[in-house]
Amino acid sequence: MPNCYGAEAILNIQPGSSTTVAFHPLFAPHDDLILLELDEKLLPEVLHQRVTLRGQPDEDAVLCTQSKTYAVKFVGTSNSVFLIPPSDDSASCENPQICDGKDLNQQVVASVIKVATGNLELVEVPPRIDKLKFLLSENPYSSEDAFMMDEMEETKTRFYKWDDLVDRVQASDDELRAGLRALSAVEIGGYWRIVHENYMDMILRMLLHNSVLNDWSLNALNEDEVVDVLVSDGFPSILARHCLYVYGDKVDEGVSGSMWRLDERRVCMHFARAILREGKRKMESFMEEWTRKIPDGMQANFDMLEGEVLTEKLGVETWVHAFSVSSLPSSPSQRFSMLFRERSKWEWKDLEPYIRDLNVPGLSLEGLLLKYTRRAQPTADAEPVFSAR
Amino acid sequence: MEIKVKCSCGGDTCPEWAIVEVQGVVEAQPSFQDHLQNLEIGQLCRPSSQENYTFTVGYHELTGSKVPLKKPLLVLKKIKYMDVDQTQTQTGADSPSVELQVVGIIRHRILFKTRPKAIISSKLPFFAIISIAVLLIHIHLSFCQVFLCKDIVHSLD
Repeated sequence: MPNCYGAEAILNIQPGSSTTVAFHPLFAPHDDLILLELDEKLLPEVLHQRVTLRGQPDEDAVLCTQSKTYAVKFVGTSNSVFLIPPSDDSASCENPQICDGKDLNQQVVASVIKVATGNLELVEVPPRIDKLKFLLSENPYSSEDAFMMDEMEETKTRFYKWDDLVDRVQASDDELRAGLRALSAVEIGGYWRIVHENYMDMILRMLLHNSVLNDWSLNALNEDEVVDVLVSDGFPSILARHCLYVYGDKVDEGVSGSMWRLDERRVCMHFARAILREGKRKMESFMEEWTRKIPDGMQANFDMLEGEVLTEKLGVETWVHAFSVSSLPSSPSQRFSMLFRERSKWEWKDLEPYIRDLNVPGLSLEGLLLKYTRRAQPTADAEPVFSAR
Repeated sequence: MEIKVKCSCGGDTCPEWAIVEVQGVVEAQPSFQDHLQNLEIGQLCRPSSQENYTFTVGYHELTGSKVPLKKPLLVLKKIKYMDVDQTQTQTGADSPSVELQVVGIIRHRILFKTRPKAIISSKLPFFAIISIAVLLIHIHLSFCQVFLCKDIVHSLD
């Protein structure tokens, strides 16, 4: 009769009875056994194999579910935590017969396989998505790529497939997909690429040019038609489709193919960016050039550029310069540091577009302001001004 | 790199493990320290129907109780395996693939947080002899250290 009982002897101990606690025949430090504390709500995710650990050797590991990212911390304990596996655990009790030692009588024994020194804990964190932009910015897709589609194979080590991104970016699948969308990345031949702004500019201008030539409405662009014409102009079809995706919205899936409408704000923003890429401009001259560049039928409105440009008064002149929220880091401390490097004092209406996307689990925007800024309000009805802490 | 967390129980019947936790360290006599396997630590007793327990280790008796964990603990087992295909296709894949397997779940612990009480009994010296070793409990202030796990993934290699 084997007496290699396990956890059951402890869990089901009857009133008035006792059990022997002994070291397991295979007792050892067992560094391969790890305790992970987690919320009850995460349990099904783990048990149904929907979580992974992600990170490079030099990074703090994160645990990812389908949609969320958690930092993994080790919490040590100075208590002695005796870990007792169930008796039928084949992994830790491979040879039940060796428990049949003469030293132990035929009694109920709970065997300690390991003394745990602590456990892992999870803390929800924002995804570490900035690295995605860094990786994809190394080699943006440009007109050179368009002409060298076939030679891409040789240099593909500089490009990233989905699995390569999963290996390198500490974010859940959903967050990674959202990150790719935010960067307007496109999958070309299995590799995720961002498209160089100059190349996007070329396609968009060509699309607008064609819309004038062919008398297309910017509110009802036939995908197949647009793509065919752009391909005949020398653009790969995947990039032509991507252009519709970046600057437009699909409005209808009709019998004659998908219909797209160009988004006024995104198109106008594109041209504002292109103008300010060369440096800051006086407001009047910027507005004049911007209005001239945008396609007929669209209305430029300075409010569209919230979170994209900043204005400053120099003497009597107002100047505009590019300052895009998408170029800023996503970690709050780095974000605020960049913001206060740009300006030492911020009014709320200017600041808000640059921080509203910050996502810190468990911390509201108000909490972020308290943590990273000093709020000054000269009089009760004055606009509050935020400066660095 | 990505480490998959696998589970063979399918979410239904994850085997339950147990924890007996004492404050301080249980030390065996120096001559036994290198071969603790099979060595008896002590007797765990549940005197009544309440979830109160005593744990007798050598000449010492601890009293404690069974407490449910606020959050469950999963027992993960690190499994390394060499995947031939992968080593050939991946650059620098000289490290074996690692996987974490869920092998158990812990929902309760029997916690002894009192100082040990010395017990005098005629039975004990004999007991100590048959259990081969006299185990000592060193109690010290319990504290928790929290530190960032700089490279869990790395250490899992």
